[in-house]
Amino acid sequence: MGHRISRRTLFRTVSGLAAAGALGPALTACAGGTGAGSAGGDLTMTWWGSDERHAAYKKALAVFRKSNPTIRIETRYSGYDGYFDKFNTQVAGGSAPDLLQMDTALVAQYARKGILAPLDSYVGKSLDLTGFSTTLLAAGTVDGKLYGVPSGIGVNQLTVNRSGLEKLGLKLPDREWTWNDLKNIAVDVHKKSGGRIHGVDDGGGSALQCFEIFAREKGQPFFSADGTKLGFTADTLTEWWEFWAGMRKDQASPPPAITSAAHNDLTKNAVVIGKALFTFDSGVYGAGGAITDVQLDFLPTPQGGFAGAREGNFVNGGVLLSATKASKRVADSVKIMDFFAQDTTAIKDMQLQRGIPPTQKARSLISAGLSETDKRNMATADYISRRVAKATDALPAPVPPPQGADRIRDLLFQSNLAVAFGRKTIKAQASEFFDQAQNILAG
Amino acid sequence: MTSAKSDEAEGEEPAAPAAPADRRERARPRRRAVGRRGGGWWPYVFLAPWFVGLFGLTVYPMLDSLYLSFTDFDLLTPARWIGARNYTHMFSDDPVFWDSVHATLLYVVVSVPLKLALALGVAILLNRPLKGIGVYRAAFYLPSLLGGAVAMAIVWRQVFGGDGLFNDLLGWFGIKGQDWISSPDTSIYTLILLAVWQFGTPMVIFLAGLKQLPKDVYEAAAIDGAGTVTRFFRITLPLLTPIVFFNLVLQIIDGFKTFTPAYVVSNGTGGPLNSTMLYSLYLYKKGFTDLQMGYASALAWVLFLVIAGFTAVNFVAGRYWVHYDD
Repeated sequence: MGHRISRRTLFRTVSGLAAAGALGPALTACAGGTGAGSAGGDLTMTWWGSDERHAAYKKALAVFRKSNPTIRIETRYSGYDGYFDKFNTQVAGGSAPDLLQMDTALVAQYARKGILAPLDSYVGKSLDLTGFSTTLLAAGTVDGKLYGVPSGIGVNQLTVNRSGLEKLGLKLPDREWTWNDLKNIAVDVHKKSGGRIHGVDDGGGSALQCFEIFAREKGQPFFSADGTKLGFTADTLTEWWEFWAGMRKDQASPPPAITSAAHNDLTKNAVVIGKALFTFDSGVYGAGGAITDVQLDFLPTPQGGFAGAREGNFVNGGVLLSATKASKRVADSVKIMDFFAQDTTAIKDMQLQRGIPPTQKARSLISAGLSETDKRNMATADYISRRVAKATDALPAPVPPPQGADRIRDLLFQSNLAVAFGRKTIKAQASEFFDQAQNILAG
Repeated sequence: MTSAKSDEAEGEEPAAPAAPADRRERARPRRRAVGRRGGGWWPYVFLAPWFVGLFGLTVYPMLDSLYLSFTDFDLLTPARWIGARNYTHMFSDDPVFWDSVHATLLYVVVSVPLKLALALGVAILLNRPLKGIGVYRAAFYLPSLLGGAVAMAIVWRQVFGGDGLFNDLLGWFGIKGQDWISSPDTSIYTLILLAVWQFGTPMVIFLAGLKQLPKDVYEAAAIDGAGTVTRFFRITLPLLTPIVFFNLVLQIIDGFKTFTPAYVVSNGTGGPLNSTMLYSLYLYKKGFTDLQMGYASALAWVLFLVIAGFTAVNFVAGRYWVHYDD
């Protein structure tokens, strides 16, 4: 034996090559040029969403193709997870889509990097935005220019398993409810279910859906107006985490393992797995699980209950449709945007798949065909947007989030988790959060 | 494959005019043909496709990533030179970097020895003339074919989740389980288990080594009255050290660059609390999610140096415990 394996030189070569082979991908994955744009051929369009949204888009696009036989469209779609990772890679590799669904939270970042095409020169010509309010268009506007057409009105709502509440002999809270009301009913859920069900999923690390609103109720925006600093104070964050620490202690909210599992995964959401009845996550319905056959209802994020509380809600633009700057087909992309904004069949096909439709005309077009759940969803959204419009003490709508905003939101989530797992005290974690967030914002 | 080719590349360099007579005696027919044409560049023409691959797909991208590691490249806009800032940031104020180093070291240090021990143990069990032994060998190798796949990681997530099979199993014994994936204390061990379970490749290599061990040594030892345990520690293990060494080096390298299971099991987050943030996953997140490709390139080079360092240490340490025949 031995002859083969004792040849050290060969062996060295083999392991050396293995090492190089091992590292090759890691090192070379990072190479790439800039520049983008697809030449002729099909117009590529991408979006993220649920199966229902995919079906709705495809149905509407089939209609578009009939009236525009010269524009061939290639569609690519997926869930949200990894959607922007892929987009980034495509932009870097020069194969960015011509038209894409864009997140209102990321539009500023991409617009300022020069990835998206400004649309202002098309508005009023091939892009008809009649009926879109200025506040709504603000969601797609960065530094005074329009980079995306909002799909609809987006507001933050809690999704409630109403059947579950009724089974426990509890009533749906009033829309004008406070944080304290949330706590009370969540504790009741836990007690009346014999400890089987917690009340509401842990919102302590949830930036967009609830902490941002809580901070605004205190008159503090999430980011300062110039986007270079956090807009809220350490006291606000501490008070917030203390509220949720209390919720977890009372078992009104689930333990951190459940919260952690639900991160980026709606199918593990506490309401979907039947461990809670209220959730701040939007879009859980359609996720199946414990809410497959139940009646769902919707509520605004709780408001105030403390002195000096202000209106904290705000209205944003749902999702956007944006064109990439390097694309040679911007004019065609704009035609598709216009189609989704104004065409009767497109509006009917999309229903609430991309939020509450943006114009009065569109809302009245779809209202007849909606399911009961969708109707309740739209009614609550309507209620919230009217309340925001009426409020005199609300802060202006949030500024376009600065670069790194998504990392700060993730940091908030991880920080709350660290507190919940007992790794850090609230005080220590809050100061660490501010350090790291400032670090991220400073670039 | 590549190793063989590169050897040839080196070997054929002197195919040029120098000492043709001597070469012709030893050369194979193919080489003689080359020599007869007298064209020293012909070998390079045939090697060109491979060189294009080497320089276009390996050397150039690697050097480019070295350059990018000193820039703030964000994938979307042109890179700006920022000196060593990526490297200083990494070591001075990036807590997640240290979380990922911790998770990766834990993963490598625990999973590699366990995996090798299991591989060797099973290889010894399978190294006997049983009926249908081939079927057993195939069965034990199977996880290695499946284990690297995304599907397997998804299964793992279900098995060790809060309502997963593993907890059901514990339930039979009256033990109340927990969500193993979502708890920061246990999540990394689910990944380690997944790694150990894929012991097939080192097992096959061990098996090949065991088959070549000289029988006379064992016979002599048996006559001298050495028991099974003594024979294992005094004969099998020492004779097998080159194989152990080979597997150790490969598994450590493999461990450091593990990505897929961490990505899938943690749903791309590296959570909970960065406990499954293996280095390659962090590198990926920085580059493709946070758009810090310059920083990700720096991370890649640090990984490269760390793996090179571990491998070098392995080779030096190997002098003291690896026994070669010659």
